Amino acid sequence: MTEESLWYPNVRIDPSRPLYEQFCEQMRADIARGALQLGARLPSVRDLAAWLRVNPNTVMRTYQELERGKLLVTHRGQGTFVTDDARIVEESKRDIARQAVAELRARAASIGLTTEQLWLLGQGEG
Amino acid sequence: MNAVQRQDAIAVHCRNVSMKIRKKTILHDVDLTIESGRIVGLLGPNGAGKSTLLKMISGLTKPVSGEIRIFGQPAGVGTLDRVAFLPDRGKLPGWLTGAEWLQFAASIYPDWNRERARYLVEALKVNLDTRISSQSRGEEARLQLLTCLAREAPLILLDEPFAGVDLLSREKIASSVVADLADGHRTLLMATHDIREMEPLFDQVVFIHEGWASGPESVEILRQSGRSVETRYKEVFA
Repeated sequence: MTEESLWYPNVRIDPSRPLYEQFCEQMRADIARGALQLGARLPSVRDLAAWLRVNPNTVMRTYQELERGKLLVTHRGQGTFVTDDARIVEESKRDIARQAVAELRARAASIGLTTEQLWLLGQGEG
Repeated sequence: MNAVQRQDAIAVHCRNVSMKIRKKTILHDVDLTIESGRIVGLLGPNGAGKSTLLKMISGLTKPVSGEIRIFGQPAGVGTLDRVAFLPDRGKLPGWLTGAEWLQFAASIYPDWNRERARYLVEALKVNLDTRISSQSRGEEARLQLLTCLAREAPLILLDEPFAGVDLLSREKIASSVVADLADGHRTLLMATHDIREMEPLFDQVVFIHEGWASGPESVEILRQSGRSVETRYKEVFA
């Protein structure tokens, strides 16, 4: 049996955004930075919902969403685990970074900076 | 799907429910459908009619007109065994200790689940040894909640379970409610003022204002449109 994970997310809830999205983001980030390790066992839906004091459907949806992206796997009767495939985690990290870059670009564009100007800023030359 | 299953899929059905006390109308033609397995918040200011509505759903009071069905059966004496009700300002007998009360409760409720009661004593850190009259408001509130949740009744009605209850007790109560409802077999309707704290618990919310009810509305759909339960509450009651 895999060792019991002591991981519980630390989320400040924004009540005007879907909660499962916020939990997905937090879990992706925790997996990317290694706070949740490859193969780690996750709390049951019931335990995590009680811990977070949120609707159990929210936690179920979070797990389902991350299972779809292959970051989590559920073994029937055993529970839900982080994938043990490092490539999937690596790809997820890139997705997080890509999204951050896209947001940065959009932000820069909204104040009239071109991608080149942004790039120069990133090099410390802008 | 047969007729029995269809009835069971609806925990509470109110149709044209009105209530008057003396000449004052407390509820106007309330139409409300609560699906089984949901956790639903009943939200509204003081005097909106929340307690009256819950009392009628519990079967303890009859509406002056309209119809209330609990799992397909008319609300009343015949549905008492399917409803666990935590009334607002309910009092437990102060001369009993927590343990004595639980022993009594186990003897009067046929659906009392001893194992669950034991688990809840731990989870809610219930004070068993002190007379109820000497317990704090938070301790008594936790004991009252235990009395509701230790039953197997499929419908749980909580009227302001957090009133006058300290933060740690509120958190313990909320966690226990979530854990208890997680398997989706029970339905919860909860009147509360603690919107900000409780909104992550709800699937749906019902707003009630001066006796008029609207909803249920899905909380996730509200959030998808960038609104919280609290901002929606302010829209409805502005």
